[in-house]
Amino acid sequence: MNPSENDYHISFFKPTTESARHNRNMVVQLILIWAVAIFGFQILLKILEKPVPEPAYIQFESSWQSIQAGTASVHEYQEAGKAVLSVMGKIAIQAEDLLLLENALSFFSYQISEQKEDLKLAVSEFESIAASITDIADESYVSKKNDLIPLMAELFALHELDVRSKIAPLGVKSALMESFDDSARDQMLETMGLYLIHNRSVLTDAKFLGFPFHYFYTAVFLLILFVGLCWLYCVRTDMYNKKYGVED
Amino acid sequence: MKKILLPLALLSLPSLLHAATAATQLEGSFKVGPAIILIIILILFVMVGIVFRAKDTTDFYAAGRGISKVGSGMAIASNWMSAASFLGMAALMYGSGYHGLAYVVGWTGGYVLLLILMAGQIRKYGKYTAADFIGDRYYSTSLRAVGAIIAILISISYCVGQFGGIGLMFKWILGIEYSLAVIIGGTVVLTYTLISGMLGVTKNMQIQYVIIIISFLIPLFILTAKFDYFWLLPQIGYGSVVSDAIIGLPINETKALVNSLGHDYAVVPVPEFAMPWDPASGQTFFQWIAIAFSLMIGTAGLPHVIQRFYVVPKARDARWSVVWGLFFISILYWSAPAYAAFGKILSAHPEVGTLAKDAIVVYTAQLGNIHPLIVGLLAAGGVSAAFSTVSGLLVAGSSAFAHDLYVKVINPQASPKKQLLYARIGTILMAIIVTLIALKNFALIGQLVAVAFSLAGCTIFPLFLLGIWWSGSNRAGAIAGLIAGGTVSIIAITYFIAGKSGVTLPAHEFISYWLEAWYFAWFGAPLAIIVHIIVSRMTKETPIEIRKFLIEQVHS
Repeated sequence: MNPSENDYHISFFKPTTESARHNRNMVVQLILIWAVAIFGFQILLKILEKPVPEPAYIQFESSWQSIQAGTASVHEYQEAGKAVLSVMGKIAIQAEDLLLLENALSFFSYQISEQKEDLKLAVSEFESIAASITDIADESYVSKKNDLIPLMAELFALHELDVRSKIAPLGVKSALMESFDDSARDQMLETMGLYLIHNRSVLTDAKFLGFPFHYFYTAVFLLILFVGLCWLYCVRTDMYNKKYGVED
Repeated sequence: MKKILLPLALLSLPSLLHAATAATQLEGSFKVGPAIILIIILILFVMVGIVFRAKDTTDFYAAGRGISKVGSGMAIASNWMSAASFLGMAALMYGSGYHGLAYVVGWTGGYVLLLILMAGQIRKYGKYTAADFIGDRYYSTSLRAVGAIIAILISISYCVGQFGGIGLMFKWILGIEYSLAVIIGGTVVLTYTLISGMLGVTKNMQIQYVIIIISFLIPLFILTAKFDYFWLLPQIGYGSVVSDAIIGLPINETKALVNSLGHDYAVVPVPEFAMPWDPASGQTFFQWIAIAFSLMIGTAGLPHVIQRFYVVPKARDARWSVVWGLFFISILYWSAPAYAAFGKILSAHPEVGTLAKDAIVVYTAQLGNIHPLIVGLLAAGGVSAAFSTVSGLLVAGSSAFAHDLYVKVINPQASPKKQLLYARIGTILMAIIVTLIALKNFALIGQLVAVAFSLAGCTIFPLFLLGIWWSGSNRAGAIAGLIAGGTVSIIAITYFIAGKSGVTLPAHEFISYWLEAWYFAWFGAPLAIIVHIIVSRMTKETPIEIRKFLIEQVHS
């Protein structure tokens, strides 16, 4: 290589001109802000998080021991049933978990009910109608469902307007009322924990503009920051280019 | 677990029937109003396409470099705001909560990298396509060909998700089967792209941006107003929807707030929607970070995005067009999570059943009892988002085919007319391949599109990053880096396809987790960069002409 060739080298980390040095420093600053703002915050979330159960899980856990021991009172079955309904009202439930929950709810309802055969008959009639309709606005379907709602509310000691009362008729199955085998029971606590225990921290519990703070930060603030960083880069680049006579 | 409960599955048939019934009601049959809106929009696109149609090859590839920076920003946004943004992002958040925000951050944060590391320099380099740059910078016809092939693969991969989105919306509007909808939608977008060419497309894109954003925002204003939230700025107003979902929303006893199926606007507590990497979502902290990182790296390596910087007159315009582009994009990205939040509550009743996540934006508007014509406009906006991106992708892919492969490698003497012909043949071939893959319906739209990002991050991004900023980066380093990044890509995609086809490969679970198809660039991109640097340092220096060009033209 002859000496003149050595003049033609570009490296981001070894700028040879004043303007390139300014540009490097600016890029490094912006990337640091960018990286800390995105990944630093998520790492902080991870460090601060603690698994926190929903009240429904605590209710369920305290009733479940008695249910397993076969000594549960009606109240304990009701509490466990309410907790199961709290999970069934969630949307993203895996199909096999939903089946397990339906089995548990049906079994609990049967244990609570004083008129077990009447309950079974009412649920079974609703199931027949549900299987035959093509439109959920069907009158006979809606009427039967509305009959079941107060019945379920009473069974599980819920207010009729409680969301869980409205879900219950769809979760109780006549064929699943009488048995709840050991293999299914073994899965119960783990399944309930999966849906009812969440990673929470001061960052998730604090509120900002109605949002949970961490959600606002990631979904709203970071995007504002990105636009701001881009704007800042352009303004400063224009300024440096003017100062150093760099032509575009 | 599945074995134990199999008999129970049969017993639970009635509940599954509920689900099918409610979902079918939302799907409905042929919808006249939305169909008319869609047809009007498509005619508008084609008319604008004809008025500004490509007259020669320069027009076809780079729109005559006559687009302003705000206009180019709109074109960037329109080109970017695909079915993945319009439909897929809300789907990801609806399905997996906070995990979906990794896509929001990934698909916006990458623009910061793109701007500060590349945009101005790419424009100063002054080429037409990504492969053009690779071929010139690494003084290799073979690398140009490889770059072109990668650009085609990225475009195909990106387009698959878009065709899926087009199919879903055509299915919803026309009330036909998904497969038929994909074929019809694919044919329409292909025809449009062929007619307009790049100049028409770019002009169209500004119109498309306006249509996309209006169609996306109007239902959101209505939803927030209807359900008593702060509607003047729904992008902030929906924060209370998220908080309501976390603590649970009781039935309102004073106002009859119901969805279109008559279910109360109420929900049990669903903190899993907003809490980070919730166990119920099945997603982890590592996956969040890997997805965000891969998408950001991929953004700065996507040929059709990079190519947009060639259509502005000056490097300064290229830089400012990114600021405008990101701002216009962010308007949609600030809004998309709101659809997921409303969707979560409006579809909470088990009777609603399982909805196609990728159509949740439209279903949410429907469940919110919004006027069918406005829902139709929303669906047409979704189609428009997919169209604007697909046309840009098909042009990028066909440019790679005709310009980089055919003219630069196979037949340098080809006339401009022949070149244009090959560009069009390339467009048709790509559209056919994409349609065939889209019919398989492999994954969610957002996930399918993310595959293209990881592929770009592992291959194109290192070549541009090092090629621009380090004159020591040479041909041997580029080849070695491409082999490293390409190998990671092939492994990840092979395991993904095998998994979808029911085939289990060695260490399948391990590879699928650490190198999932939508985030393998977290590993592949740094590996490609390191290999590229090491091999460059060990081999013959970059020729003086290239180094001279970098200093005098690109970094002057």
